[in-house]
Amino acid sequence: MRRFRLPLIIIAALAWVVVGLIVARGPQPEIIVPAEVITKVGFLNISNTMISAWAAMFILLVGCFLATRTMKLIPTGAQNFVESVIEFLMGQLEDIAGTKNARRFFPVIATFFIFILLANWMGLLPFFNAIGKTEDIGVEIFHYIEEHHEDHEPFKEEIAHSSGWIVDNVGIGLVLPNADDAHFEMGAAPATPVSAEEALDKYIVFLAETFTDFEAEGGGGHGPGEVTPEMLTAAVAALNADPDAPKLLPATEKHAVPSAALGDELVVSGIDFPGPKLALIIPLFRSVYSDVNNTIALALISFVMVEFWGLRTLGFSYLGKFFNFSGFIPFFVGILELLSEFIRIVSFAFRLFGNIFAGEVLILMLTFLLPFLIVDIIYGLELFVGFIQAAVFALLTLVFAVMAVEHHDEEHDDHEGEAGHDELESQGTPGQ
Amino acid sequence: MAKPERGGWIAPTAYLMGAGWYFATCIVVGIVLGLWLDDLTGLEPLFILLGIVLGLTLAIGGGIRMLLPFMKRFGGGANGASGDGQ
Repeated sequence: MRRFRLPLIIIAALAWVVVGLIVARGPQPEIIVPAEVITKVGFLNISNTMISAWAAMFILLVGCFLATRTMKLIPTGAQNFVESVIEFLMGQLEDIAGTKNARRFFPVIATFFIFILLANWMGLLPFFNAIGKTEDIGVEIFHYIEEHHEDHEPFKEEIAHSSGWIVDNVGIGLVLPNADDAHFEMGAAPATPVSAEEALDKYIVFLAETFTDFEAEGGGGHGPGEVTPEMLTAAVAALNADPDAPKLLPATEKHAVPSAALGDELVVSGIDFPGPKLALIIPLFRSVYSDVNNTIALALISFVMVEFWGLRTLGFSYLGKFFNFSGFIPFFVGILELLSEFIRIVSFAFRLFGNIFAGEVLILMLTFLLPFLIVDIIYGLELFVGFIQAAVFALLTLVFAVMAVEHHDEEHDDHEGEAGHDELESQGTPGQ
Repeated sequence: MAKPERGGWIAPTAYLMGAGWYFATCIVVGIVLGLWLDDLTGLEPLFILLGIVLGLTLAIGGGIRMLLPFMKRFGGGANGASGDGQ
């Protein structure tokens, strides 16, 4: 029986993958790098990553409040858990920074670690990236067109939504479900990018040609020719006459794009396609650090705190590390030091963002491609990555803080002899 | 080398991962800045070359500064050169 064990495990695993593919395949994910805006409050865009961050803050605040509401000398339950986490972190900090510095840095470093860890792990909850509002692609596409209309800019980059539409420098394309030719040619030369209004005109003519018997002269929606007011009027009439054709939605208070050929006579806010609706999901919750704005904010806090601790401990002599005019080489080294301080912000921000965003994309894609077994393994890996990234962020901030507050001593000791290094080692060298 | 304490692997692992990412960031930032400045000034390939050199210098200089204390602490190996922490 034993010799059959491995083949049996492999067959069971494969069967599990096949069952997953048949019964539990997720929808094709849309990979969108910027965080999706859920609503606007005044000038402030409320994105889904902000909502997730607030949820994480709420959980931490309520959790800590409940755990420490009735403090006991001999802790039990939640208080015990919170105390053990704090003690573990304090122990790690003391090992690296020494007792005095550890107590000083602890509030910031521990906040970094606990908050990043919670945010990363929360991002793996099943309702993240899954529930949210859906947006009809016929309307959603117009938000993009509208932005370009407001800026009076032709389309430059290609934005393709696999489930619905494509916008590139030649215009707007529709990707119909199960269509053989997912991308159609708008006909305009890529060398002469079209504006939002021109693209809209071509799109309307294209829709009339695709869904009705309407035929335009000179290429119309497909050709390089210009869309004339007559052609556009005829195309709109053809669309309105056919009950099965897509319908142009009139302008609303929020959304409106005027036509290039007809101007204010034809203002559109979206297109209502016939048949089953294709929708794009705008998730309500998304992993906090899959948004580069949040990681940059955290990196800036880390940078400011390190400089603050350095300045507070060493006073203005701290700046001597960056601006050393005692010779050419020290001056050059100082400039390098200064540059590394700023590179650190980029490094901090993109390390966390890259790891978390990549993990999120990986899980979404695997849920679509190979649900069940493989995605479970990656899920476990992501739990580890979430922990390690929280540790990396907190620990590196701590190490740089230690370097900032002890730099002066270190240099001083270097002049006096090797004895100083032992002191540094015992107090704050990383990795202890 | 003595067996690390419980949780003692976290700090060195995180530190080395951080250092690795620092190298990459320095080089990438140098190149991206160089490309951008070349595009802005039309002096291609002056700034991309400068960016590469500066990025590499920062990566090596900063990397050495980051890794020296680490090596001192953990890099003693079998001969126990650094003495402490082993």
